[in-house]
Amino acid sequence: MSAKIAIDLHKLAKTVNIAIPTLAVLFFLAGWKLSFYFHFGTVTFILLTLLNLFYTRIQSGHTLLRNFGIMGQARYMMESIGPELRQYFFANDTEERPFDRNARSEVYRKAKNIDSAASFGSQNEFDETEIKIRHSMYPVLHSEQVPFSLTFGEERGIENAYTVKRPFIISAMSYGALGEHAVRALARGARQAGIPMNTGEGGHPKYHLMEGCDLIFQLGTAKFGARNEDGTLDDSKLAALASQDSIKMVEIKLSQGAKPGKGGLLPKEKITDEIAELRGVSKDKDVLSPPFHPECVGPQNTVSFIKRVQDLTKLPVGIKLCLGRPAQFEELVVEMLTQNIFPDWITVDGAEGGTGAAPKAFIDGVGMPLYPALKLVNDILTKHGVRDRLKLLASGKLISPEKQMVALCLGADAIYSARGFMLALGCIQALQCGNNTCPIGITTHDPELQRGLDIAVKSTRVVNYVDNLEHDLEELLSAAGCRSTRELSYDHLFVPVGANLGAMPPQSSSTSSSSSSSIFA
Amino acid sequence: MKPSIIISWIAQLVAVVIMGQSLYFKFTAHPASVAIFTDIGMEPYGRILIGVIELIACLLLLRSSSAHYGALLGLGTMAGAVVGHFTQIGWDGERGELGILALVVLASCAIVLYIRRMDLPFISHALKESEKG
Ligand SMILES: Cc1cc2nc3c(=O)[nH]c(=O)nc-3n(C[C@H](O)[C@H](O)[C@H](O)COP(=O)(O)O)c2cc1C
Repeated sequence: MSAKIAIDLHKLAKTVNIAIPTLAVLFFLAGWKLSFYFHFGTVTFILLTLLNLFYTRIQSGHTLLRNFGIMGQARYMMESIGPELRQYFFANDTEERPFDRNARSEVYRKAKNIDSAASFGSQNEFDETEIKIRHSMYPVLHSEQVPFSLTFGEERGIENAYTVKRPFIISAMSYGALGEHAVRALARGARQAGIPMNTGEGGHPKYHLMEGCDLIFQLGTAKFGARNEDGTLDDSKLAALASQDSIKMVEIKLSQGAKPGKGGLLPKEKITDEIAELRGVSKDKDVLSPPFHPECVGPQNTVSFIKRVQDLTKLPVGIKLCLGRPAQFEELVVEMLTQNIFPDWITVDGAEGGTGAAPKAFIDGVGMPLYPALKLVNDILTKHGVRDRLKLLASGKLISPEKQMVALCLGADAIYSARGFMLALGCIQALQCGNNTCPIGITTHDPELQRGLDIAVKSTRVVNYVDNLEHDLEELLSAAGCRSTRELSYDHLFVPVGANLGAMPPQSSSTSSSSSSSIFA
Repeated sequence: MKPSIIISWIAQLVAVVIMGQSLYFKFTAHPASVAIFTDIGMEPYGRILIGVIELIACLLLLRSSSAHYGALLGLGTMAGAVVGHFTQIGWDGERGELGILALVVLASCAIVLYIRRMDLPFISHALKESEKG
C-alpha cells in the first residue's frame, strides 16, 4: 500500500516537473498571440521552472528536493506549519506540552475573571499515576480559616524579616529572557496583588524597580549585577542592591530545573549597551555563566557563602536548586547543622521547570521532577530536625490550584510560578522564548511585538489570576478540613503506586559520607 | 553592516528609483506609456494594474524586512516587461531605452534576491542545508 503511494508520488512529481516548463511555454504563446495578460502565467512558471531546476540539479542538501523538486517542497511546507495545524485543529485538549489546552485555558479564565465551572466530568484519566487530594468528611468553614502569613527570616530573628500574605510568588525570569513590557506588566501586577516577584539573574533590576513591587533579587552563577570582572561576587555591589527599599530578599541560584548543572554563554553580539550596564559585563567579550558558583565547590563553602550573603545584605537569603542526588543534599543539610547556618528558605525547582533557552537534553533529561524532589527535601530536613529552621518554596508547572495543593501537602510553604504568570499575561505557548520572536511580546525585545502587550491591561490579569488562585486554594483547603496551609500534610494526598511519588527504589550513593544513615540508601 | 547588505541596498535603491519614476508616466497616462500598453492590448486597466504592482514592489523594497518580497515582485514584473519587449513592444528608440531599464531593474532584483535568499520562506530551508555541504 505504502509502496504504491510512493510510486504514485514519484510519478506525480515527474509529471509536475514536466508540466511546469510546458505551462511556461503555453502561457508564453497565449500571451503573445491572445492576450498579454497570459504573461502573468508565463513569468510565474518561468520562475517556478528555475526554482525547480535549482532544487533538482544544483542543491544537494535535501534528497527529497533533489528527487522530487517542488513537489518535495510541499512536504516541508506542511511540516513547517504542522505545529500550528496541530494546535488549532488536531491536538486533543489534554495532549499538548508542556501545558495542555485544558491547563492553559484554566489560567486564561482565571486571569480574565471568567467562571471556570466544567460540565459532565473530568477530562483526566484517573489512572494509577494521578495524585489526588483526600478531602475531609468535615470541611472547615471559610470563617474559621486563618489568613495566610509567612515570614522569611523569622528563624534568625533578623530585623529585615519579610512577610508575605498570599502564598504565591512570581518565579525568576530575567530582563533579557523577558522584554521590558512583560517585566513591567508582571511587576505592576505583583504590586497590585501584593505579592513579591523574583528578578531572575538579569543583573540590576531596572525595569522591575520601576513598578515599585517587592522584589527578590536573584544572584545567578555569573553574579550579574554584583560581579567582579572575573565573575566572583562583588560584596559592595550586592550590599548596594540590597539596601534598595524594594529589594526584600536575595535568592542564590544554585541550579535551575530546566538546566541543572548547565551554565550558559552570552555571546558578545547579544550584549547591548543596556545589558552590559545592567549585568555589569564588558561589551566586547563573550560572557560565561558557569554551571555553579565559583565560591561553592563543596558543602562547606556553599554554606559559608550563604552566610556571607546573609551578613552582607542583612536580608532573608534563600537558595534555589533542582534536586539531583539526594545524598548530596543531605550532606549539605548536615553541613548547615554543623556550622549552624541555614538559608532562610530553599526553593525546590522541579526538572519540569521552564527556561528562556537550554539544550534539549537538559530540558528533557536532567534533574528530579518536583513532587518526589520536594518530598525528599522535606523528609531530609525533617529527619535532621531542621525543617523549622527555614521555609520551603516549590516551583515546576504549579499553575493550577490542585497542583499547588499537592505541593503544599508535600511540604512547600508557598508556591513559586514563572510560566503560570506568563500564561496570565497571554502566553499562547508558541515555544519561541529563545528566538526573540514571541508573538505575544513576552520573551522578545522587538518593539513591534511588544507593542501588543499592554502593561495596564495585563497587570490586571496578573491580579485576577492571583485572586482566583487564592479563592480556589481556600476552597480546597476547606474541603481538606484545614484552617491553614500549615495543617496540610502528606496524609492529605492519595498517591497511587504509579505516581512518581509512590515507591522510590533505594539507590546506592557514591558521594555521601552519611549514606548509612540516609533515608533512601 | 555587512558589505553584501550594502550592495543589496544599492540594488534596492536602483530598482526603486527606476520603477518609481516610471510610475509617474503610468499613473498620469503619459502618451508614450499609453502607446505601449495599447500595443500589448492592456490599456487602460493593465497599465494601472502593473503600476500598482510596481508601487507595491517599491514599497516592499524600501524596508529590509520585506525587501526580498519586493525583489520577487519586481523580478516578476520586469520579466514580463522583457518578454513584452521581445514580442510586441520592440526595442526602437525610446522603447529600447525602456527595455534596457527593465533589464537593469531585473538584474538589481535578482541581486537583492540572491543576497537575501535566506529570508525567503521555505526556500531558505533548502538553501541552508545545501550550502553547508
Ligand atoms: C522565560 C523564562 C526565564 C527564566 N529565567 C530564569 C532565571 O533567570 N533564573 C532562574 O533561576 N530561573 C529562571 N526560569 C525558571 C523559572 O523561574 C522556574 O523555576 C521554572 O520555570 C518552573 O516554574 P514554572 O513551571 O511555574 O514555570 C525561567 C523560566 C522561564 C520560562
